[in-house]
Amino acid sequence: MSVFHDEVEIEDFEYDEETETYSYPCPCGDRFLISREDLENGEDVATCPSCSLLVRVIYDQEQFMRDEVVSEPTTSKELVKC
Amino acid sequence: MERALWAWGANSYGQLGLGHKEDVLLPQSLEIFPCNQQRIKSITGGGGHSAVITDAGEFFVCGQNKEGQLGLNHTEDVLCFTLCTALSSLHVIQVACGWDFTVILTENGEVLSCGSNAFGQLGLPQTSGGCLSPQKIESLREKIVNVAAGIRHALAATESGLVFQWGTGMASRAKRMNQGRTIPPFLKAKEPCRVSGLEKVKVKRVTASSYHSVSLTDKGELYVWGSNKHGQLVSKEIFLAEPVKIEANFFLDEKIGAVWSGWTHLVAQTESGKVFTWGRADYGQLGRSSVHDGQRQEVCRISEEHSEQLFNVPVPVPYLTGATQIACGSEHNLAIVGAEQHRGIHECTGRLDASAAEDLMFEWGSQCFSWGWNEHGMCGDAVLDALLSGWNTAVSVKRSDTTAKRNP
Repeated sequence: MSVFHDEVEIEDFEYDEETETYSYPCPCGDRFLISREDLENGEDVATCPSCSLLVRVIYDQEQFMRDEVVSEPTTSKELVKC
Repeated sequence: MERALWAWGANSYGQLGLGHKEDVLLPQSLEIFPCNQQRIKSITGGGGHSAVITDAGEFFVCGQNKEGQLGLNHTEDVLCFTLCTALSSLHVIQVACGWDFTVILTENGEVLSCGSNAFGQLGLPQTSGGCLSPQKIESLREKIVNVAAGIRHALAATESGLVFQWGTGMASRAKRMNQGRTIPPFLKAKEPCRVSGLEKVKVKRVTASSYHSVSLTDKGELYVWGSNKHGQLVSKEIFLAEPVKIEANFFLDEKIGAVWSGWTHLVAQTESGKVFTWGRADYGQLGRSSVHDGQRQEVCRISEEHSEQLFNVPVPVPYLTGATQIACGSEHNLAIVGAEQHRGIHECTGRLDASAAEDLMFEWGSQCFSWGWNEHGMCGDAVLDALLSGWNTAVSVKRSDTTAKRNP
């Protein structure tokens, strides 16, 4: 059994619409990732591509399927040159 | 002794300033640092970026820049420390690096910010998204003397001792954990909002972390608020919506002179020099147990039975007493012990700030202690033998309680 670094509510993840991926900061500097498809399939483990840590995503699969996109807030794609 | 800047640890975005993106397990000298012999005043790091300021108030940056957090008016990662020319006309006295944003304090008490604004962490009017170049936070009208940045929120302390918070990073947890009660406006503000509950005290320093905030008053008292999931707020509540004082008896009735925070653990130093740690402990963040594995296992075994009582109470770490600089990363820490004694702990705050990914430090003719999570070599302990044999008294790295975990 893996030990989770943390358990994180889905609403605390950021959602990238282009990659359809939810992400959350990892203490190594990278991000824990889990795809929308994985969540729809009931997967709840977000992995970090750069280290061994894992987080468990807290979400309601049925509600997630109903809501389609429950991300809040989404990753800001708007960058302005000030 | 000649000054030198050294870097090691996670380097996925070039945040070590060494010109590449490979993790570095052995401290390496930054021979290419471009500051023209000026004294480096402080080093600080965010999720994947680093910032250095010099005594002359110049501001150098490197590392991850996807959100414009380097303030260089572009979004390419930068592998070597580069002068932020947008601030050339200003004298920068402090920088706080958040996860993917940067908060900058100038000599005249103005605050600027750049990077991601997805959670309102830039404190700028919401007409703007992220910002690639530092932008002044106009709504902070009083002179600011200290700033701090967490993962998704930021803090500023004014000259008169007020505290402002912005960025909604703590709001969702506040709503969930405050069980329907109204949460204070400053927890969900996207522009600077005065922190209520500190009316009777004068705050001089602030610290922001993943989901909590800390204020240090002019009387040496600590006030904390936010998530207490790992006992980091020394409270029985799971979430503190407003500042609560950590009573002085936890610090042997001594006044606190400085405080630092990892993502879920805290380190505080009393005015007499004692160093206390508390909060999350599962990667050895608190540095409390012995160097010897056998002893460590014994401590862990005992700790499991009383973990809550042990970890959510500040406990002094004797070998750090008198530390002249301390820095907390996300889940690891650095401390310099035995440095030049005329450098007071107040001056040191923020001078060496190891954040989520990287470690950068000066050579002071002293010892550097490291402890905590070490998966990317952030604790630099691979260097132990090389340093002790080759550098004499320059810098040595000691590992106290490193329990880096690798999942099967």
